[in-house]
Amino acid sequence: MLAGLGSALPDRVVTNEELTALTDSSDEWIRTRTGIRQRHFAVEGTATSDLAVAAGQCALKSSGQGGADAVLVATTTPDRPCPATAPLVASRLGLSGAAAFDVGAVCTGFIYALAAAAGLIAARTADRVLVIGADTFSSILNPRDRTTFAVFGDGAGAALLRAGEPDEPGALNTFDLGSDGEGRDLITVRAGGSQQRLAATVSDPDDQYFTMAGREVFRHAVQRMERSVRAALETAGWQHTDVDRLVCHQANQRILDRLADLLGIDPRRVVSNIALVGNTAAASIPLALHQAHGDGSLRAGHRVLLTAFGGGLTWGSVTLTWPRLAALDGSTSGPSPEN
Amino acid sequence: MTNSYDALVDLLVHRFDVDPAKITPEATFEDLDIDSLFMVELLLVVQAELGVEIPDEAATPRDTIAKAAELIGAQLAASAS
Repeated sequence: MLAGLGSALPDRVVTNEELTALTDSSDEWIRTRTGIRQRHFAVEGTATSDLAVAAGQCALKSSGQGGADAVLVATTTPDRPCPATAPLVASRLGLSGAAAFDVGAVCTGFIYALAAAAGLIAARTADRVLVIGADTFSSILNPRDRTTFAVFGDGAGAALLRAGEPDEPGALNTFDLGSDGEGRDLITVRAGGSQQRLAATVSDPDDQYFTMAGREVFRHAVQRMERSVRAALETAGWQHTDVDRLVCHQANQRILDRLADLLGIDPRRVVSNIALVGNTAAASIPLALHQAHGDGSLRAGHRVLLTAFGGGLTWGSVTLTWPRLAALDGSTSGPSPEN
Repeated sequence: MTNSYDALVDLLVHRFDVDPAKITPEATFEDLDIDSLFMVELLLVVQAELGVEIPDEAATPRDTIAKAAELIGAQLAASAS
């Protein structure tokens, strides 16, 4: 069950105006299509692990005493292709010896990692698992592609899960997870893996960058999250009107709005922080949770539904009743305007 | 006016806040001050509310409201037969 939360954002805030100087777009173009006003970019020299460690420290601290015997890092932008980022994060958090591995499910990564963590706890392999979603998408974005460059931001968010009873507040009981590899080209970095090796001549220099087929991804995101939410609701025995807070992967404000509309969920119950941080990939759900918990919009007893969609394609949802958590401090890495 | 036209107008007004005064059969979606994501959203809502799946490439912002209504009507008839 959920016992601690944390998040971290790099110091550098990049406004839409600043991006406009780099790309062929405008503040209005970005705001009306995405709802984003600014995002944080890590400066060169700041790696995904740096953000993950800061968020992890914050989550461990908020959970009270005790460390973690497993560390999972959901990321698409690991420090290096090899090894995984999680072992370094565990060591830097003073958790040397803990089980540690990365989870790759792009923007659904945090939900998948929560499911893996809940499984480790259920199998009694671990009692306390630190789940971190961390990404520095600025390291893979194409500065010439306004449809991605204007959308993504860097950040990390973390949750500490501990063993507990299934009926306790904070218990993660009803996951819905899915994938469709036929959609692999819709959200991708084509080169740099075993299929198109970087040592060989890359057929198109843009293949080194992240790409996303915007309109198709929009449609899939809404449809897949809608179905996944309905499946999770059914397993939990909840009606859509029972949902006090819907926390979606912060992909695009228009996606959040349309999803709430199709599900019949009051938009005032939809948690959103995309205006200030953009789409932070695997970090987006824990960042949104940390912010909403901090500002009081998420309160103990709330019935909460988390849902995400990402590259793969992948999607997933989970329900929980919000637990009583210790008062949380803000981001541990630099100023964060939403705190 | 056909049922599918009325249903489409209803969605445009109530789900997308389009000004009813701007909607005529001959108006194109472009005339309604829309952007590139609008058609995707419209087709999602049409599918959810009217139960017809229209592929993204079948409808463009340059189409008239009447043409889109015709497409929806044809799909409805096909799924009913």
